[in-house]
Amino acid sequence: MLDENFAKQPDPPNDVASEIAAAPASAASDGLSHSKEARSSEFRGLAVGVIGWLIPGLGHALLKMWGRAIAIFLAVGLLVYLGAGMRGNLFAPGGDDAFTRLGFAADLGSGAFYFAARFLESGGADVSHADGDYGTRFLATAGVLNLLAALHAYEAARGRKA
Amino acid sequence: MTAVALFQMVPLQFSHFQALLLFALIISLAFGTLGRRRPIERLKYAAWSFTMFLLVGVALGWLMYPFSK
Repeated sequence: MLDENFAKQPDPPNDVASEIAAAPASAASDGLSHSKEARSSEFRGLAVGVIGWLIPGLGHALLKMWGRAIAIFLAVGLLVYLGAGMRGNLFAPGGDDAFTRLGFAADLGSGAFYFAARFLESGGADVSHADGDYGTRFLATAGVLNLLAALHAYEAARGRKA
Repeated sequence: MTAVALFQMVPLQFSHFQALLLFALIISLAFGTLGRRRPIERLKYAAWSFTMFLLVGVALGWLMYPFSK
């Protein structure tokens, strides 16, 4: 009797087993697509970051963050313009000491505006006055601010921050 | 006057306080825009940042004053 009943009972649908059986293939395809998406997102983020570094504000403009794009372009541009106008020291590559190398790295952070500053500052730097010293800080700050903005654009492009 | 001369700079001269004001204003606006999303929050953050720049700058100036003699 017991055996009969047991024999008559249909097998319950074993969803777990079927899921486990299908899991490797599904996980592999999901993993592949996630990996592709992650790589694509990473590449997009890097491209936006580099473009934002080269042309201040363009990274955010590509992400259609117009307010931020304009603010970054104007802030970095103004800092570079004022720094060059105050005859701040614009560091050149190949410095002897760490301070010069760090200064060059900071100045180069403003991307294309670094070369604009070199063009604007035709009379050369003059740090014998406070204005020139402040100008040096303005130029370095422009670069660091632009690097910060490029990093922000990179994060936003990856969807991690907006 | 050539186009090149138009873009070349007339040297700018500011007092210490004017330079501080300009620096604080530009950086605060950039910080506000980057750090917050809503316009009112941006404005508040920029105003707070600007005030802090000024207060800390002037306080540091006074702290260093005895060593300037």
